[in-house]
Amino acid sequence: MSIQFKSITELRAMLDDKLISPLELAQESHKLANKYKKLNCFVTMDDDFSKKKAGAINLNQENNSLLSGIPLAQKDLFCTQGLRTTCASKILSNFIPPYTATAVKKLEDSGSITIGKTNMDEFAMGSSNETSYFGNVHNPWKKGYVPGGSSGGSAAAVAAGIVPAATGTDTGGSIRQPAAHCGITGLKPTYGRISRWGMIAFASSLDQAGPLARTAEDCAVLLSIMSGHDLKDTTSLNVEVPNFLSKLNDPIKGLKIGIIKEFDLSDLDKEVQTRFEESKKVYEKLGAEFVDVSLPNISASVPTYYSIAPAECSSNLSRFDGVRFGHRAENTDDLNDLYIKSRSEGFGDEVKRRILIGTYALSAGYYDAYYKKAQQVRRLIKNDFDHVFESVDILMTPTSPSTAFKFGSKGAQNPVELYLEDLFTISSNLAGLPAMSIPHGQVNSLPVGLQLIGNFLREDQLLNAAHIFQQNTEFHLAKPNMEDF
Amino acid sequence: MDKETVRTICYLARLRIDQKKSEKIENDLETIIELISGLQSIDTSNIEPLYSPLEMTALKHEDEEKSDNKKEKFLENAPASNDDYFLVPRVVE
Repeated sequence: MSIQFKSITELRAMLDDKLISPLELAQESHKLANKYKKLNCFVTMDDDFSKKKAGAINLNQENNSLLSGIPLAQKDLFCTQGLRTTCASKILSNFIPPYTATAVKKLEDSGSITIGKTNMDEFAMGSSNETSYFGNVHNPWKKGYVPGGSSGGSAAAVAAGIVPAATGTDTGGSIRQPAAHCGITGLKPTYGRISRWGMIAFASSLDQAGPLARTAEDCAVLLSIMSGHDLKDTTSLNVEVPNFLSKLNDPIKGLKIGIIKEFDLSDLDKEVQTRFEESKKVYEKLGAEFVDVSLPNISASVPTYYSIAPAECSSNLSRFDGVRFGHRAENTDDLNDLYIKSRSEGFGDEVKRRILIGTYALSAGYYDAYYKKAQQVRRLIKNDFDHVFESVDILMTPTSPSTAFKFGSKGAQNPVELYLEDLFTISSNLAGLPAMSIPHGQVNSLPVGLQLIGNFLREDQLLNAAHIFQQNTEFHLAKPNMEDF
Repeated sequence: MDKETVRTICYLARLRIDQKKSEKIENDLETIIELISGLQSIDTSNIEPLYSPLEMTALKHEDEEKSDNKKEKFLENAPASNDDYFLVPRVVE
């Protein structure tokens, strides 16, 4: 029985009805991963252990969770005990973590089966998955096209129907943009909602883990389990985790949706605009009200982000020095030479670029002009959000300015061209707000995503709005034909 | 972003740039600096920087000793180690 393209909810029913066992399900998932090896969405598979764990699951126990026996894939940025974790970098290509990230551990403790670690942009720095040391990931919708990034492998694995859901991380759009390009649903929760412990840090004040899945309902299942306070992460919020499934079906009549005036959509592809207008009509029919709102500083999000994120990255990535773990260069003259050669051999070009920019922004004489300035603008951006959320419930934008693009077609000459991919997604990371992307149609046979941004800790409203949309449309049910793979 | 500045930053970051790629990297850095320099035109007088979206102090917990020593496991990942230490090239003669 094929499990390809099935949602968690569907697989749960199959397991509960004894149509398939957890072991058979894990085996099927592995088979699909092998069948679609050309996608290159996995860096490392966990064959033996995952099958052993699946075989040991007893579905007759009373306390089983919705995830018992469900196969999942984890972005290769989450540390997994005993299972290689590379962050898609040469410098960590031999790293076997001695512990498991809290977010993954919670999923595994709920009975889900990690079948493998997914490919990504190196250290999550990229919007196309082209910076991975392990090669490009193909978009399941079109060979030779990017899946988006940085959680491109996770998005491709879900879109190809290999697993019903996967974990990702989002620093500037790295869950939402690949979800949009691959035609699936992705959620970046509020900063602090999910523990960052065991996530390899890129930009600590922006990074947040979250789920990628086929439906908003499945995202709610994963979010409920991944969330919660963790003593090991001082930035994890000590707040109650609501049951994100309980309000999914609430009517959205009267929901106030803000449209951001400063985003001039007329510059976008006509079809992308049309999709957006049609989705507005869907929401209007469901009783939502649209309000134009102004976020006067939002256009400064991209430069603000590209000052803060590289600064934090240059600090975080200083730990990779060839001494305690990871790649160490051979034939070095002294300790300093060991640092320089190990890092220069171990990091790819985009990572180096960002470390250099961050080092520059943090260096004496430039700190105030770049880093501090950006953090001040960040407050202005957050203040703008605080202000608009006094009058609206959620905000709506396209997730990405365009659809997936061909390998090598963006950013090769000018890196800023690729940075603009994140135009709509970056601001919610700067302000720490939850946001999600849901599929809302196609342009030239490639999926397009609709972004919903919520107020602080209001993932429930986002999931409700996304679920109701999916109950009234069929965009999330579209599947790639996969014949080229 | 002249060659000298790039050389200094590379040293601070303990990175070496491939000669063949150095011009491209210099141009890229210049482009990115130009992008982030756009922020200078925004008036931020009397605005406190927002270093974290949470703005909360870390939650304190009891300072209890926990036995979670994974020394062997950590050393297993080291490129060079003996029983107790990470090994690096000699620093002091």
